[in-house]
Amino acid sequence: MYRETYGLITAYAARRCDSPQDAVDVVAETFAIAWRRMGEVPDGQQATLWLYGVARKVLANHYRVQVRRQSLNVELDAEMADLYQAAPDSGVELTAIAHIFRALPDADRELLSLVAWEELDRQQIATVLGISRNAVRIRLHRARRRFARALAEADVHFTSESRSAPAKEHL
Amino acid sequence: MKNSDDIDVITRALARVEPGRPGGNASDAGARALLAALAAERPGPSAARPRRRSARRLVVGLAGAGLLAAGVAVGPGLLKGGGTPSYAVTKESDGVVYVQVRDFRDRAGLAKRLEELNVPAIVDYAPPGKWCEEPRGTHVQDIPRGLYSVPENIPGEQDSQGWQMRIDTKLFKPGQTFVWTISDHSTSTILMSGPIAPCVLVPDTSHEVRPIKSDYRLATTKGGSLAGFRVDEKTVGEVLPELDRRGLRITYLIMGVTPDNPGGYAELRTQTRPVGDDWIVWEAEESIREPGLIRLLVTDKRFDRNPVYGGPRDSVIKERS
Repeated sequence: MYRETYGLITAYAARRCDSPQDAVDVVAETFAIAWRRMGEVPDGQQATLWLYGVARKVLANHYRVQVRRQSLNVELDAEMADLYQAAPDSGVELTAIAHIFRALPDADRELLSLVAWEELDRQQIATVLGISRNAVRIRLHRARRRFARALAEADVHFTSESRSAPAKEHL
Repeated sequence: MKNSDDIDVITRALARVEPGRPGGNASDAGARALLAALAAERPGPSAARPRRRSARRLVVGLAGAGLLAAGVAVGPGLLKGGGTPSYAVTKESDGVVYVQVRDFRDRAGLAKRLEELNVPAIVDYAPPGKWCEEPRGTHVQDIPRGLYSVPENIPGEQDSQGWQMRIDTKLFKPGQTFVWTISDHSTSTILMSGPIAPCVLVPDTSHEVRPIKSDYRLATTKGGSLAGFRVDEKTVGEVLPELDRRGLRITYLIMGVTPDNPGGYAELRTQTRPVGDDWIVWEAEESIREPGLIRLLVTDKRFDRNPVYGGPRDSVIKERS
């Protein structure tokens, strides 16, 4: 399970955390919880969703309390720092969008990123968040609308053609 | 307003790590260091425990937990197991050993059999509430792939308590030992190297099975949908008319009870298909999620005492009239 999910969880943490140190903490704590609660981890693909569910809670706690770094893992610190370094340079336009994105409610950002970054479908998101599929649909609709409105208000124009990011299968 | 595709494309572009791409790799030094740090910690209570099917669910929380606890270790696998050996170890010509354990108390028998097959293993049995004091030795961090499988259900015995695992004896390195701690509730399997301390039992409840939160609650007590109507020890035929009258839907939980009926039961299966009118009802529960759905706890024959309560219901549930 570790082998299969490590890449996903590190990517998730890196996408969601502002600093590589935070991301390392989230990764370490998430797997530590999984280790301690091994018997509760479901089989197969559900295991991944279960881990996302744990990671998001760790992430939430992380923002609430200033955690002391639990274990010193210099290798992981370095690898995570490299991952942040390797992140594509954001242009001015993207920086402005990122600024607006950050100003969205936490729940909106989480939902939008689970769709666009983790590429989960509605059912999977419902599992991760522990809510119904219909609730996901409604909340997602609202989150997208708020983001769109915020972008429009800030007069940020963005053409999807200008980015190489292909529009993957959407919801 | 931009459509949802645009929003997702915009969001995508903000990802620090490109969607679909992994962050790190489990073979990276950092990942291995993390795993090693985790492995140094004792895994969770059920780390190497076979996944329990519903049969494992013994209703402890229903009434007097202490009273019913005696029945917790009872499973249908043990009920049927007249001629089944408590364990079986078979070795294939390629050095692969299959171990099947059905009775967790026959520690010595299992240890002896493993020794005969040259599997370097130590087996200890931990009685309820106890566990071997740890650490007992150095945990091997770099476990060769395929050395052993996670314990799994014995094929064809899905409802039993037993488990089996596959061990490739060729992959043991000199000085490595498989340290097993088996108990009624969990099995821990840890590969260690060097000297292993003998098992010193210390009080430890972290390996106990936690009661699973049920989706059902008692229906026959005050506030329940069958309040005032006793079902215990009646036949299904006696109970059904009243349930019909109240417009309730019914599902049956077929209970597994050991012949000596120590109190406690296993959930053999749940079905909506009617059972015989002469079956015995021991209790009725109502679904928390689906109002109007009643689950009758039934057996196909009468026992000398109510397995749900280990005796008469009245001895456990005191109702003020």
